Amino acid sequence: MRKQLTRKMLMLMLSLAMLLAAGCGSATTNSGNDGGNGEGSGGAVKVKVFKSHMGVGSLPTADNPHVKYIAEQTGVQYELITTPPGSEPSEYLNLMIASDELPDILRPIGGIEQTLIQQGGALPLDELLPEYAPHVWESIPQEAWDIVRSASPDGKIYYVPKVFLVPERAPLIRQDWLDKVGMEMPKTTDEYVELLTAFRDKDPNGNGKPDELPTSGREFGRWMDHLFAMYGVAMWEGYPEWDEYDGKIQYAGTTENMREAIKFIRMLYVEKLLDNETFLNKGEVWQAKINNNLVGSWYHLPANVRDRYNAMLTQAPDAYIAAMPLPKAEGFEAFVTQKSMGEPEWMIPATKQDNAPNALKLLDFFYNPENDEFGRFGLEGEQHEVQDGRKVILPPADNKPLALGMKNLTTAEDMNKRIEETYPEDQQQMVKDMFEVSTADARQIAGDGLPASVYEGFPDIQSHKLFQEVLTKIVIGELPIEAYDEYVKKWNASGGEVVTQRVQEWYEKVRK
Amino acid sequence: MAELSETSKLQPGVTVNRAVKPSYLGNIRKHWMLYVMILPGILFYIIFKYIPLGGSVIAFQNFQIMKGIWSSPWVGLDNFKFIFTYQDFYHVLRNTALIALYKLVIGFPAPILLALLFNEVRKMLAKRFLQSLFYLPHFLSWVVVGGIVFEVLASGGFVNAVRGWFGFEPILYMQQEQYFRPIVVLSSIWKEVGWGTIIYLAAVSGIDPTQYEAAVMDGANRWKQTIYITLPALFPTILTLFLLNIGNFLELGFDQIYNLLTPMTYSVGDIIETYVYRSGVLQGQYSVTTAIGLFQSVIGFILLWVFNRLARKSGEGLW
Amino acid sequence: MIKQTIGEKLFQTANYIFLTLAAFTMLLPLLHLLAVSLSSPVAADSKEVFLWPVGFTLASWKHILQSSGLWQSFVVTVFITVVGTALSMLFSVLTAFPLSRREFMIRKQVMLGIVITMIFNAPMIPFFLTVRELGMMNSIWSLIIPGVIGTFNMVILRTFFMSLPKELDDTARIDGCHDFRILFQIYLPLSKPVLATVSLFYAVGYWNTFQRAVLFLRDPGLWPLQMKLRAYLTSPEELAQVNMFLGDYNFNTTTLKAATILFASVPIILVYPYLQKYFVKGSLLGSLKE
Repeated sequence: MRKQLTRKMLMLMLSLAMLLAAGCGSATTNSGNDGGNGEGSGGAVKVKVFKSHMGVGSLPTADNPHVKYIAEQTGVQYELITTPPGSEPSEYLNLMIASDELPDILRPIGGIEQTLIQQGGALPLDELLPEYAPHVWESIPQEAWDIVRSASPDGKIYYVPKVFLVPERAPLIRQDWLDKVGMEMPKTTDEYVELLTAFRDKDPNGNGKPDELPTSGREFGRWMDHLFAMYGVAMWEGYPEWDEYDGKIQYAGTTENMREAIKFIRMLYVEKLLDNETFLNKGEVWQAKINNNLVGSWYHLPANVRDRYNAMLTQAPDAYIAAMPLPKAEGFEAFVTQKSMGEPEWMIPATKQDNAPNALKLLDFFYNPENDEFGRFGLEGEQHEVQDGRKVILPPADNKPLALGMKNLTTAEDMNKRIEETYPEDQQQMVKDMFEVSTADARQIAGDGLPASVYEGFPDIQSHKLFQEVLTKIVIGELPIEAYDEYVKKWNASGGEVVTQRVQEWYEKVRK
Repeated sequence: MAELSETSKLQPGVTVNRAVKPSYLGNIRKHWMLYVMILPGILFYIIFKYIPLGGSVIAFQNFQIMKGIWSSPWVGLDNFKFIFTYQDFYHVLRNTALIALYKLVIGFPAPILLALLFNEVRKMLAKRFLQSLFYLPHFLSWVVVGGIVFEVLASGGFVNAVRGWFGFEPILYMQQEQYFRPIVVLSSIWKEVGWGTIIYLAAVSGIDPTQYEAAVMDGANRWKQTIYITLPALFPTILTLFLLNIGNFLELGFDQIYNLLTPMTYSVGDIIETYVYRSGVLQGQYSVTTAIGLFQSVIGFILLWVFNRLARKSGEGLW
Repeated sequence: MIKQTIGEKLFQTANYIFLTLAAFTMLLPLLHLLAVSLSSPVAADSKEVFLWPVGFTLASWKHILQSSGLWQSFVVTVFITVVGTALSMLFSVLTAFPLSRREFMIRKQVMLGIVITMIFNAPMIPFFLTVRELGMMNSIWSLIIPGVIGTFNMVILRTFFMSLPKELDDTARIDGCHDFRILFQIYLPLSKPVLATVSLFYAVGYWNTFQRAVLFLRDPGLWPLQMKLRAYLTSPEELAQVNMFLGDYNFNTTTLKAATILFASVPIILVYPYLQKYFVKGSLLGSLKE
């Protein structure tokens, strides 16, 4: 009995050990396949591309039609690496670097471009771009390349920037509400306040309940940029930006403009013209409020209005969204912040120098105007279908392979085309009108392209923590407006001054 | 040594007075099976815990990801200096410690009390059914539960609706500093208390029923039974769980606070983990975040050491 | 049965009421999610749904149950839960037992060594590199082996083993049992409640695998359920998988999210009721008589 049991145990342990060994062994066969410069099928050169936030879908294999088509056109076979949606891509990238498994070309996220540049991990592209990626080189304005140069300590070009020449965001307003209350687009902040009051009191959504939120935003004070924009505050999604004030580039979050803007917002809050729960609105909650015809004026991306609009229509068939020209505040110049050319889009690791020409060839393919249609629609049957003579993009699915797109350059023309492709006919004009209005108000800020390295060592300045605290507390009434002045002092003392100096030095470089 | 064991076999029940100093080799020879059993475990801890733990040295470096651990420059205690001189450090530390303390004092006993209450439920079916409901919130992520908390406390939410019945104006709880910590503790209890009772209920089921019968004979009511039988029987479990938790005292976990925090409550709610998130994730400062982690661990270990010594006096400690 | 005093009766009633009310609040969120997942998209978005579906439709459930990717990750998760729990229980028991024996001379030192690892956590990058060096990248074993022994769970087992009466040991020794036999033939059969509990803890842990999967898995075919769930929650438009032009669909991101959350949690929730039968009082009774 005793011997039997012991033997049984030993057998169990042995078999488990073998199982484990098998598990470990089978894994290694996977890692044998990634050789960066290997020969792909049909003699094409392989290039590994890292791009995050690609949504749902499987990774395309070497015999995928999209991959093959591009390989035929360029001689380069791409291999796509992406992060699981919902995870932190910067962590992923850091792991790739730590394990020396870098792709041939990557889209940096979370400030990693500065890490790579400063630690010598990025390849300078000055010579390579004109030679191997002429379309990229020429279609991106020189101004953008200058900004890119200024972001590196030695003035070289270390990445291809994202270029977005139309204003991405705009103040939006319910035109049908304006009609219902019989008022015109407000030209001054006083008129705006009158309009919001009408929204609040005259039941423009017609349901008999005083549930209207004339204007609303999201938690952390985000997405109410329009209220700040009226006072000339440079702001991006609720984060103050850097722009010229009093002749110098400064943090918009500590200026006189900001002080006035906060006073204004506080007043709106007290009068219940601003959703009193704006600082508690999680993303979905805010979106639901807009979709449910509760909000009259808000701030977002005109290009993405489609889903919200359709949701609104289900309960308010007369709904119509227009962009609101910014009302003027006395003594201030209003503008919509535009950031068009600073964000890094593509980088090549220094260690992948040998394959760089091929990686750039691949990139250039997408920037070649001849391939525009392919870049947008892909292959018939794979990425799109033809319906009634129109090309319609097929929805993504778990088991459908992802298709790589590398171009991130949007001109007004591109935006128009995008609108025509993604919106039903009867909505297209509405969206195009929005862009017309926002373009008139938009201005590029001085801080466009500011490298994240200026914040090094001062995470609280970078995260705008002090600003958010003082903004929210003053607006809800916990602190008096005078607290703003103390905040400015504190901000400067806890690193703001140092960061400002760095930004001003950077700005000098750019302006040359 | 072999002689001694022979003797114990011949005289069962007699405790051998080990005047002779025990030798390790002899122990291994006699109880070789125990050593074999624990071998995979020891290997596991060495390979997957101690070897990676060596990487903690980056807390004393200026870790540069491109250079890796071996080639990054050493900076000694600079990272720690950076942390301690961060002007809000004491704020953050205080918030963390206070919330941890509240959670310990209120949250730790909660599952025990609940287990005792469950113990009083006579009908088996009702007891099982209720138990199964209680642990449901444990399976929801803090993203979901955070959303629920915001909704319930919104101006149109349940709590304010009830207050409305009594004629009170709505309060926006999530914006007020004084409510934040209680909300954190209460929501944490709501979410985890059911799950926490499972282990205590398992321990309770191991109690010999004849003890209760004897107590009833002696005229003890349920209350006395609980105090003199149930609680003492639960004591080793309670002690173990306490010790296991105290080592992670300053580690509150990121998810809950992150999903409940707003800028209006930063001053009471910003904890070490959320600070680390801002500086670690946003700035890629692995050295600093590792240093902070070490700090949390050292404090936790000191607490554990102290309590373990105390535990040894009244029972068994962890070591 | 002895008659209860008024006080005890009062307490019983109060207890029942309290427990039932509290239990109901725990159930509410899931009921709400269920109702949302069975409601029409318009109703779900306009906050009309509370505990009962409005505009009842099975469309959301049909849609996600037809998603092959979701089923694949379901299978992956079941695999790692079952295999992981089995392996974890085995190795945890094998580690906890010696640590509970007085005769095991180095137990205090080993315990200290183990507890230290519970408090001092390795930073992510060294951990990642270690696992990678062992060849477990992109392997499903990376989700099981690097965490196969959970210290917390192992210590619970140890504590329980230590609480078993010493008389059992003495009896066993007299009968000439060696350590292996004591463990498997005597201790384990008496440990059913704690074994069930710890198995549950491990099972839930494996079921919720997410962090490790993000670190080590590259092939989306190996993604466990929680990763898929996270993917759907953050890019719900993809989950919807419909082209706006392609006509009617009676679900939207809100209803799909609700259904997916339920799909990912209900199976593991059902494990505990199944294990409750092991939580039987008096499991030690009679052991001494053997």
